[in-house]
Amino acid sequence: MTPALPHAGLIEASYRKKFVTHSVPGYHGCYLRVDLSTGSSARIALDESRLRRVLGGSGLGVDILLNEGAAEADPLSENAALAFVFSPLVGSPLTTSAKFAVVSKSPLTQRINDSLASSGFAIAGKKTGHDAIVLVGKAPRPSVLVIDDENVSLEPADELWGLANRAAQDRLRERLGADYQVATIGPAGERLVRFATISHDGRHAGRGGSGAVLGAKNIKAIAVRGSRRTEWAHPQELVALAKRLSEKSFGPATAKYRELGTATNLLAFNRLNVLPTRNFQQGSFAGAEAISPEQLSVARERTRSSCAACTIGCEHLYGLKNGDGSVRLEYENLFALGPMCGISDPETVLAACKLCDELGLDTISAGGTIAFAMECAERGYIDAPWLRFGDGTALIRALESIVSGDELGRLLAEGSRSMALEVGHNSIAFAPQVKGLEIPGYDPRGLQTMALGFAVGTRGADHNRSGAYEVDFSEAVDRRNVNTEAVPLAIETEDKAALMDSLILCKFLRGVFSDFFAEAAEMLRLVTGWDVTAAELRATAARIVTTKKQFNIRAGWTPAEDTLPERILHEALPEDARAQLSPTRLATLIEAYNRARGWTPAGYVMEDIRSL
Amino acid sequence: MFQERLSGVAMQVAVELFGIPRARAGVAQTSAAGSNLGDVLADLAQKFPPLAETCIDGRSLRAGFVVNLSADRFVTSPETPLAEGDTVLLLSLDAGG
Ligand code: SF4
Repeated sequence: MTPALPHAGLIEASYRKKFVTHSVPGYHGCYLRVDLSTGSSARIALDESRLRRVLGGSGLGVDILLNEGAAEADPLSENAALAFVFSPLVGSPLTTSAKFAVVSKSPLTQRINDSLASSGFAIAGKKTGHDAIVLVGKAPRPSVLVIDDENVSLEPADELWGLANRAAQDRLRERLGADYQVATIGPAGERLVRFATISHDGRHAGRGGSGAVLGAKNIKAIAVRGSRRTEWAHPQELVALAKRLSEKSFGPATAKYRELGTATNLLAFNRLNVLPTRNFQQGSFAGAEAISPEQLSVARERTRSSCAACTIGCEHLYGLKNGDGSVRLEYENLFALGPMCGISDPETVLAACKLCDELGLDTISAGGTIAFAMECAERGYIDAPWLRFGDGTALIRALESIVSGDELGRLLAEGSRSMALEVGHNSIAFAPQVKGLEIPGYDPRGLQTMALGFAVGTRGADHNRSGAYEVDFSEAVDRRNVNTEAVPLAIETEDKAALMDSLILCKFLRGVFSDFFAEAAEMLRLVTGWDVTAAELRATAARIVTTKKQFNIRAGWTPAEDTLPERILHEALPEDARAQLSPTRLATLIEAYNRARGWTPAGYVMEDIRSL
Repeated sequence: MFQERLSGVAMQVAVELFGIPRARAGVAQTSAAGSNLGDVLADLAQKFPPLAETCIDGRSLRAGFVVNLSADRFVTSPETPLAEGDTVLLLSLDAGG
């Protein structure tokens, strides 16, 4: 093993002996706090009442960050905190529970950011004996943080610096041993690209730039290994429930994910005119069929994979024709690097997805920012005549420039909001973002409950924190003329997402539950022994959403941020004149949302969140 | 309905299939007979038995699937009347990704 850095911190032996956790089942009852500047680490106790209030994952993460003062700190400064957070369900036999949340202030939005990723890192990270790993400070040189049970050390990362994600992870496992689970940043995180990801085994904590936060701390990778399991309160009943849940996960509710993957949304969204195309200038794309998974699987190899401890297996990997392996394809990658940039060549889209994986770029923000730049180039606002919608070579060149740091790349690396402010010409009107986070593949004009979800979302425009599109895809609302009756339905999806992200369970499982809050309460009871009810979990979910809002208020949020780009509020979709959302209607929806949340009409949280 | 009785031939509507419904039926487009949604679904299930196993239960949709009429409104009731020129879009419900 490479020798540890001189400043490497090991938990003091006396402390190690003294620290015996007597926690509630499912938890270790503490988090590990590593100060990278001093190389010291400490275990901080988490008491039961606190855990019950915020559970784990996103909920526990934002609670810890508020206590660390992260809301007020510059996310790329030494003062910033970043938390890897596990959950009571991690390591249990419940399907899709091998997940972790990465929580920090976003360098892209300057607001709360909680990104989730899956697989062995979650299980191994929790087995180190901690419910979360919190990093503060900055390592003096590029480093790998190694956590092996209670032993914490910083090792040099000089020979890993500059490597793409897969190469860095392979090299590190060779160095440390295959029993370590590793999360890395790619070159994008090293260069502080504001939408850089943290990657583990091909999956990414993708949105909001947590990779840049880690890069700013000089941490190329975190390697975890552990031997500490938590107990389950009712192990036999838990195993029986897990078996039933796994059986349900093989049913029709998840067939789409198993058989086709999320990319199959493309043609349906295209038909409904809600597929964002050429930077939201259109809602349908003539080249959609050519890049649809239905076509892609005719002409190339397709394999399936899944995260650890998952019985669904939604990951579909498509082979590249140039022999450069295969790449996971999700709807969001496909939309952002395809129609959003006007690209209909399947090989280019797959190559662009692969490049984002390796560099560590969030595909939605990368595609959205490049599409925005393409429109700026078309209008003559930037000097990049080669950057044209539909030009695959230009897309790849733009992606590479984001990490090369050339003049255009420097602009792109800041995301579309900052780029627009620098470019001028009121280009902010068509920058495809909310609070600085690029909008995912749902045109809000044709999906207006989702429009509300995007506008009020604490981490910006996001389809994983609000599932309000489900309301639009139902007969409960007129999706192109939504009124305040949609508000409680939108809140319900947001609360469900907050609970799933805190327990943590995969959202692709949601279709198998007939009463999610009640079934989640039963899972938590069997794991922890708490007499938790559906009503309590509804209150917990609402509290977690409010806690995120509180973080944002402390970070400087103002009501003016809860909006959508001018283009969305002033231009109807060319294919569908009814798909029009006025600023007045959006404002009415937002005010109703704020009141329903128990906040002020403008969206402030007046009461102390601790007393909620 | 009136036209149907006059001619003795059920109205035909265009049907477009997406995602799992398309994979099960093996076609992207077809037509089905019926003057309401339930009749059209029953006709589709008869024409494409794999659809009945996953997506259609008698005259209704199974959980996880929805119908949109002509890229306009979402409907679920089997009694939803269909008009000449309507296109039935059969979709998987969940989005995400
Ligand atoms: S459904 Fe997909 S994303 Fe969710 S846990 Fe399984 S493989 Fe991972």
